[in-house]
Amino acid sequence: MIRLRAPEIRLGDRVVLRDIDFAAASGTLVALCGPNGAGKSTLLRALAGLLPKCVAADPRHVAYLPQNARCAWALTVAEVAALGRIPHGDTAAAPIERALLACGVGHLRRTRIDRVSGGQARRAMLARAFATEPRVFLLDEPTADLDPAAAHQIMRLLHDTARAGACVIVVLHALDLALRYADRMIVIDQGRIVADGAPGAMLPRAAAAFGLAHGIDPTPRLLPPA
Amino acid sequence: MRRLLLACRLLLAAVPVLPLAAVPVLLLAAVPADAARIVSLNLCADDFLVLLAPEQVAAVSILARDPSLSVVAPQAARLKTVRADAEAVLALHPDMVLAGAFGAQTTLALLAQRGIRIERIGAPHDFDSIRAETLRLAALLGEPARGDALLAAMDRKLAAVSSRAPARTPSHALAVQPRGYTSGPGSLTDAVLRAAGLIDIGAGRQVSIETLAARPPDVLVQAQSPAFPSLATDWLRHPALAAIPRRTVPPSLLICGGPWTADAVALLAE
Amino acid sequence: MTRWLILGIVLLTVLSLGVGAAGLGVPDPLILWQIRLPRTALALLVGGGLGLSGAALQGALRNPLADSGLLGIGGCAGLGAVIAYYWGVSALFAPALPLAGLAGAGVGCAFLLMFAGRAASGPSLILAGIALSAATAAMLALALTLAPNPFALAEITFWLMGGLEDRTLSHVALALPPIALGCLVLLRLGRGLDALALGEDAAATLGLPVGQTLRRTAAGVALAVGAGAAVAGGIGFVGLVVPHLLRPILGERPGALLFSSLLAGAALLLAADLLARIAPMVLPLAQEPRLGVLTALLGAPFLVRIARRVAP
Repeated sequence: MIRLRAPEIRLGDRVVLRDIDFAAASGTLVALCGPNGAGKSTLLRALAGLLPKCVAADPRHVAYLPQNARCAWALTVAEVAALGRIPHGDTAAAPIERALLACGVGHLRRTRIDRVSGGQARRAMLARAFATEPRVFLLDEPTADLDPAAAHQIMRLLHDTARAGACVIVVLHALDLALRYADRMIVIDQGRIVADGAPGAMLPRAAAAFGLAHGIDPTPRLLPPA
Repeated sequence: MRRLLLACRLLLAAVPVLPLAAVPVLLLAAVPADAARIVSLNLCADDFLVLLAPEQVAAVSILARDPSLSVVAPQAARLKTVRADAEAVLALHPDMVLAGAFGAQTTLALLAQRGIRIERIGAPHDFDSIRAETLRLAALLGEPARGDALLAAMDRKLAAVSSRAPARTPSHALAVQPRGYTSGPGSLTDAVLRAAGLIDIGAGRQVSIETLAARPPDVLVQAQSPAFPSLATDWLRHPALAAIPRRTVPPSLLICGGPWTADAVALLAE
Repeated sequence: MTRWLILGIVLLTVLSLGVGAAGLGVPDPLILWQIRLPRTALALLVGGGLGLSGAALQGALRNPLADSGLLGIGGCAGLGAVIAYYWGVSALFAPALPLAGLAGAGVGCAFLLMFAGRAASGPSLILAGIALSAATAAMLALALTLAPNPFALAEITFWLMGGLEDRTLSHVALALPPIALGCLVLLRLGRGLDALALGEDAAATLGLPVGQTLRRTAAGVALAVGAGAAVAGGIGFVGLVVPHLLRPILGERPGALLFSSLLAGAALLLAADLLARIAPMVLPLAQEPRLGVLTALLGAPFLVRIARRVAP
C-alpha cells in the first residue's frame, strides 16, 4: 500500500504534476500511462521519495527501478541482485537466490551483466529489486527496448508478483501490455491524472490522451507464449 | 583614408633616415673615455665593472644588488639597475654594453644594430684566466692601474695561503651544489680547492645522498644556502649528511671568477 | 589476492631496503634508516593513497577514466604545496605543506564533483578534468615564476613529474597522518560505491546518502592525494592503472576493489621507484629517471587502451 497527496509537484520552477491524490493497494498491478512528458516518471520518482520535499520511502519496503536502469560496472548477475540487500545491511543468500530464480536468471548468476542479452540484463536489474523483498515495486518502463517475447515475460512476472501480494506500479508506454496484464490503469495527461480504473474501461481516455482512435481491430496479432 | 596613407608614407620615408642621424652623435660621444656610459647586463660583468670603473656605470643588472650573489652589492644598492631588455637599455643611452658569454642574443643584436658597442665578458676558470680577463677588462674600461691593483691584492692573498700550507696530508674535499651537482676538474671551484691545498674529488657529476653517505669525503664544501626555500638546497640539509664536516663559502665568491675569488681560497685554507 | 599483494609488498620492501646508489645488500644503518627507509615508506604511502583514490574516484564518478592525476586533483595539490613551500609558510610551520596540498586537492575535488553532479556523462567530466589539469599546470608555473626564490622555476620538474629520492623521515611524519586518515575514510565507502553503480537515483532509493558518499569520497581523495603530492610532487596514472589491473581478477564491484587497490598502488609505486633506482646501475644514465616519468610511461598506454574500450 502506498499513498501520495500533493497539490502540485515541481521540478525546479516548473510545475510538472497538479492535484495528485494517489493510492495503490497491495496485490495490484498498476499501469501508469500517458504521452511523453505527461509526468509519469515524475510521479514514480515522487512515490520513491526522490524529489525534494517528498517523504523518503523506506528502502526496505519500496524498490525503485529507473528508466533504462543500467549498472556502471560489469558486475555478475548475482552481484547486481545482491545490491538489493543493501537496505537490509546483509548479503543473505536465500533472498538473492529466490530473486534470481523468480526473474529467470538463475543460470546466469556468474555471468557478467555486459555479456547477457538486453532482456536478461533487464531481468537481472529486476532481480536486484526482488532481492530487497519489498512490498512496493516502482518500475519505470521495465519493458522498453525489449523484444515482444521478453516484454511479455517481464509483464507476466510482475503480474504474478502482484498476485502474490505486492503492490506493483509500472510506467508503461505499451498500452497492449497494460490492457493484458494490469489490474488498474492510470492515465496521466499534462500533469494531471485524467483517468483511473480498470484498463479496458480506461482505454478511450488513454487513446484520447495519445491523440489516437480506438476500436476493435480484427487483424491477426502477436500473442504471448502459451 | 588619404591621411592614413600619407602618414604611412611619411613613416616609411623616415625609417632609413634614423640610423644615419644617430651615427655622428654616437661617434662624438665615444671619444672621451672618462665620459663613457656603460651598462652591464650580467652578474659577473657587474662585479668587474663596479670594481674597475664605478664612475662609468650607467646601470647594472638587478642581480648585482643581491648580497648572496654579487661582490659589489653595497655599491650596487646606489646604482641604477636595468633588465636585459633592449628598450630599457636604449633609454639609458649607453656607449657600451657588457654582457655574459651566452644568452640575450636577440637583445644584443638589436642594441648592436643601434650602434652600441657590445662586449662579452669571459668566464675565467682558474687564476691565470682571471688575471688575463682582469687585465683585458681594465684596458677596455681605460683603468689599467685599478686592474693591476686588484690583481696584486689577489696574488698577495694567494701567496699568504700557499706559504701557510703545512706539510700535513691534504684533505679530500667535495664541492657540492644544490641537488648534489659537483664541480669537475678544470672548473673554477676545482682551482679554488686546489689553491686552498685540498684534493678535489669531484667528477663534475651529480651525486646522490646515498653515495655521499656511503663514501663521505673528509670535507664537504658548499655555498651558503640562500634564505628562500628551495628543494634543491633542502637536499644539503638531509640528516644522512649531518655527520660530514662542512666548509661554507659565500656563493658570490665562486659564481664568477675574479680577483675576489682569492677570498674563497683564504676561507677554505683557514 | 590480498595475500599475494601483501607478499609482494613485503618482497618489494626488502628489495627496496637493499637497493640504492651505494650498492646492493644491507647498507650501514645510517643509509638504511635515513635514506632507504623514508623512501620506501613514502613509496608505499603515496602509492597506496593514489591507488585507493583512483578506485574510489572511478567508483564514485562511475567512470573508468577517473584518476586524481588525469582529473587535475594532483595538480591542485601541487599548486597548494608550491605556494606553502616557496613563500616560506612550511619553513615556519612544517605541517603547512601537507595541509596546503590537501586544501588544493580539496578545491579540485569539489570542483569536479560539482561538475559531475551537473553533467555526469563520462567525456564531459574528463574534459573538465583536463581543463583543470591545464589550468593548474599553468598556475603552478606562474606560482614558481612569482616565488621569492629566483631559481624556483628550475624545480618545476619536481612538481610536475614527482619523485621520492632523498626524502627524510620528517617527510614520512608529515604525510602519514593525512594519507592514513584519507585511506580510512575511503575504505569505509565500499557499500556506497557499490550502490552508486546503479546510478544516483537508484542508490538513493537503496537508502544510501548519495551526497554524503560523494563528499566523503572528495575528502578522502583530497587527504590521500593532497598529502602525497605535497611530499612527492606530481605522480600520475597510478590511480588509473591499479583498478584496471585488478578488475579482471577481482571483478568490477567497486567496493571489492578498494582495499586491493590500496595494496596494489603501494606495490606498484614501490616497484616503479625500485626501477628508477636500478636504471642508472644497468643503463648509461647520469641520474635516476623521474618517478613520475616512469609511472606516466607505464600509464599512458593503459589510458589509450581504456579509451578505446570506453569509446562508443
